[in-house]
Amino acid sequence: MVTREDVENIALLSKLFVPEEELDSLTQSMQEIINFADEINKADADEEGFDNINNLSNVFHEDEVVESYPVEEILKNAPEQAEDHFLVRNRE
Amino acid sequence: MGTISKIHEMLVSGECSCAELTKSYLDEIEKANPELNAYVNVTPDEAMRAAQAVDKKLAAGEEIGMLEGVPMTLKDNLSTKGIETTCCSKILTGYKPIFDATVWEILKSRNAVMLGKTNMDEFAMGSSCETSYFGGAMNPVNTNHVAGGSSGGVSSAVGGNIAAYGLGSDTGGSIRQPASFCGVVGLKPTYGSVSRYGLIAYASSLDQIGPITKSVEDASIVFDAISAPDRRDSTCKGNVGGATYPTLDNDIKGMKIGIAREYLDGVRDDVREAVLEAAKVYEALGAEIVYFDLPILKFALPVYYIIACAEASSNLGRYDGIRYGYKTAHYNGTHDMICRTRSEGFGEEVKRRILLGTYVLSAGYYDAYYKKAQNLRGTIVKAFDRAFEQCDVILAPTVPMTAFEKGHAVSDPIETYLTDICTVPVNIAGLPGVSVPCGFNSKGMPIGMQLIGKSFGEAQILNAAYKYQQAAPDKFMDTKWGVRL
Amino acid sequence: MKYELVSGFETHIELSTRTKIFCNCTTQFGGEPNTHCCPVCIGLPGTLPVLNREVVRYAIKAGLAVHGEIAEIAKMDRKNYCYPDLSKAYQISQLYAPLIIGGYVELSNGRRIRLHHIHIEEDAGKLIHQHGDTYVDYNRGGVPLIEIVSEPDIRSIDEAKEYVERLQQVMRYIGISDCKMQEGSMRCDVNISVRPEGSEKFGTRTEIKNMNSIANIAKAMEYEYDRQVDLIESGGKVIQETLRYDDATGTTSPMRSKEDAHDYRYFRDPDLVTINVPREEVERLRAELPELPMDKCRRYVNELEIPEKDALLLTKYRRISEYFDEAIKGVKSPKTVSNFIIGQMFRRTETESDKELFELATSPAQLNELVRLLDSGKIRNNLAKSTLEKMLDSGKGALEFISESDMGGVDENALLELCRKAIEGNPKAVEDYKNGKEKAIKSLVGNVMKNSRGKADAMAAEAKIKELIG
Repeated sequence: MVTREDVENIALLSKLFVPEEELDSLTQSMQEIINFADEINKADADEEGFDNINNLSNVFHEDEVVESYPVEEILKNAPEQAEDHFLVRNRE
Repeated sequence: MGTISKIHEMLVSGECSCAELTKSYLDEIEKANPELNAYVNVTPDEAMRAAQAVDKKLAAGEEIGMLEGVPMTLKDNLSTKGIETTCCSKILTGYKPIFDATVWEILKSRNAVMLGKTNMDEFAMGSSCETSYFGGAMNPVNTNHVAGGSSGGVSSAVGGNIAAYGLGSDTGGSIRQPASFCGVVGLKPTYGSVSRYGLIAYASSLDQIGPITKSVEDASIVFDAISAPDRRDSTCKGNVGGATYPTLDNDIKGMKIGIAREYLDGVRDDVREAVLEAAKVYEALGAEIVYFDLPILKFALPVYYIIACAEASSNLGRYDGIRYGYKTAHYNGTHDMICRTRSEGFGEEVKRRILLGTYVLSAGYYDAYYKKAQNLRGTIVKAFDRAFEQCDVILAPTVPMTAFEKGHAVSDPIETYLTDICTVPVNIAGLPGVSVPCGFNSKGMPIGMQLIGKSFGEAQILNAAYKYQQAAPDKFMDTKWGVRL
Repeated sequence: MKYELVSGFETHIELSTRTKIFCNCTTQFGGEPNTHCCPVCIGLPGTLPVLNREVVRYAIKAGLAVHGEIAEIAKMDRKNYCYPDLSKAYQISQLYAPLIIGGYVELSNGRRIRLHHIHIEEDAGKLIHQHGDTYVDYNRGGVPLIEIVSEPDIRSIDEAKEYVERLQQVMRYIGISDCKMQEGSMRCDVNISVRPEGSEKFGTRTEIKNMNSIANIAKAMEYEYDRQVDLIESGGKVIQETLRYDDATGTTSPMRSKEDAHDYRYFRDPDLVTINVPREEVERLRAELPELPMDKCRRYVNELEIPEKDALLLTKYRRISEYFDEAIKGVKSPKTVSNFIIGQMFRRTETESDKELFELATSPAQLNELVRLLDSGKIRNNLAKSTLEKMLDSGKGALEFISESDMGGVDENALLELCRKAIEGNPKAVEDYKNGKEKAIKSLVGNVMKNSRGKADAMAAEAKIKELIG
């Protein structure tokens, strides 16, 4: 059962606002999708599970420094920046 | 019919210059795009610059490679340095990457002429392209119909002849489904054969970049070019199976083509008939048709949605209005800013999948959903392994239906999810699959069939696809739009 | 009622690899804001992590140094939480299959603090809050960390302090981190609960986050212990919560607000592949490890006859113990070397960081030469001491300050001659001694010392004089 509280909780974890008036319909819609997902519980699954698709292991980068990007590039897309920092301005 | 090779010949023979060719594509985009909405960002300056570089080489008498000077497009989730890359989401508006996706780096180094970035479902979440922030891309065969999704812009552009080919991404069918809807060829490569670096992630363990083309040999040419190991992508091994182009025309006498009965369940009659018709073509070519059961497939769709949404919920956490993209105008504190930015910046379908993904990973539900789905994923991988003991290639429909009319898909999420039923198993198992046109329904809308191969078995499925294309050229069509070659 | 303190530590240690854990940016501390960054470590869409090979090696060394079991298969997981210092909204860490399992840290009281596991993960960036605004610098984002998670085996504040010191010491020894708490390259989360003495059941614990000095750890634990005991004594209940320690007030206070409802939704990171650790690699790394401080200390006490107190001082920092090991080569009494180091040399390296670097003008070989002169009887202790001072001032060798005439003048024959002269010249003292006045011998010895300009061995002279007088 998906409850309103579940939806409120996952919305908070997802950092999404759900308007009060949409909470019921969203709970309903989530319930439908979860019912659909519940199908899998009818299946017998191997217990050993799944690792990664090509069973790859030990892919590494070597410990050699590559020059970093210029700070202007790093900050290029920032909605707000100041003093070479990303900025969340909280003053009105 | 090989469009890429035809363009190559034209350029080499001097029939037209690359600049002229590019200009004609750009002109056609201007005419067709208002109706197709395939492109969300046309980049004429970039395109002309690349074209001129090719012309310079030609003028100097230098040899050019097969992909040099060929006008193409990229789905808008592939990072292009300095060129806006939005995933067709409000939340990434204005974002200009500071690096190139590996696939684009490869093609750029080969003087590919990029005409622009193409439309898609927001963050590749959808089957109709209609969740795009910029509105859906239309089907070039009939613009009352959707182009499909999520790589709908690429298939619309290629089908509409306003790009010779394009790169899309396929997480649960996003290359093959729109290719099928638009009557073009779409290859979803083996997971790990093409680098994902620079592909804006939807579901990392399922995403794979591949070509959408007018012909099988074009798919082969592009795949051979872009499949290479990349030290920036730990999961990328490159083209382990070797080049596909040299074996395209190999005889398929004795090839075992498998049909899993489950793939034909719940598929519309016209689609089933077209696929079975194709099986007959194969028999005529000397292949052997083998029927078998793959009952585990009935769980593929929920497994896919659980895994995809779980990964998406994590991948999409980073859009917080701090480093790039959209940021809300009014807020009260950092937490509020992040929540508002995300609530305003993401569309409904994306939010739905983020919430579902968060749910299946959250305390108390992880074992029942995510872990169970991972286990089933292992079971599905093994089931395909066993299937490939009986056959070389699996033949299946790409989509249970043809392109729907616009506005049809958005109503019921679960019904929409069901359209992915034939495509998702390939992503779950990491296998290669190519969608090839195999007929039309009564309204003239294209039907696609899918050839599924063993892991890194691209050469085999493209070989089978090419032989079919040679035997049934009437299934491949042109539209009223675009550049005529 | 008496209450027992129960504590477990989660210790984060930044590894001193050259590059970050998932990209090739430098890990250098400091630097102008956002200048040690690339698309990967600021989490631009489409970027992918690739694990640093050296991080795995460093972590394995850490595991071996604390007697942990190195997993054959390890995996990376995502820990999801959204905070501005975390560029991807998840931290790549390990939960389901960490690299190191178990292990322990042995304390001087013989108790072993068991470790649950050690995992590798990435550090977050840095937030600066100013006038309500938040500034973000990602230079530290992606710096590799190991997190050492102990069992709740610590039973006192002294044990806690020693536990942290031991970890710091051993990690510095094996060279995987500088463990500078003040720079944040070593940080502790302290879990703490209390229970009536004799009780087997654990009480409800609280967690004090991000402690960055041993002194504060002690103060915070003391405060939190008292707070919990008071709470229980007064009929209250300890709530399981995360606390921050305020250095200024010396108190702890709850840290999280409702906004940070935490459920990390760990799952395997699909962008990273499995880590497979071949046993040969483990053995190769084990062979690279230096002798560990506890083993060294034991060896100094048992084989070199160094008092335990001194042995602890010598082994506290790797450089000092290496200096000592070098300086004792071929000397008769390692204790003499130890005395010079702990005495005169420690006076010149007063701070802990001085001791850690142990940079002195005098090389171990020079000290060794001085001690050999002493061993062979060519010079005496007082001269050696004053010479060492000059050596430490100048960086010059002992022979620069000791002339030929200072050395070797007082061999057997010379001593005999000096003693005879002393006896002949002081009949009164000889008489007194013979009459039972023990002290009188001192003036005879003094005479020998004076005539030898302090080079003679006073003990030997006394023995010789007694022998001559009969």
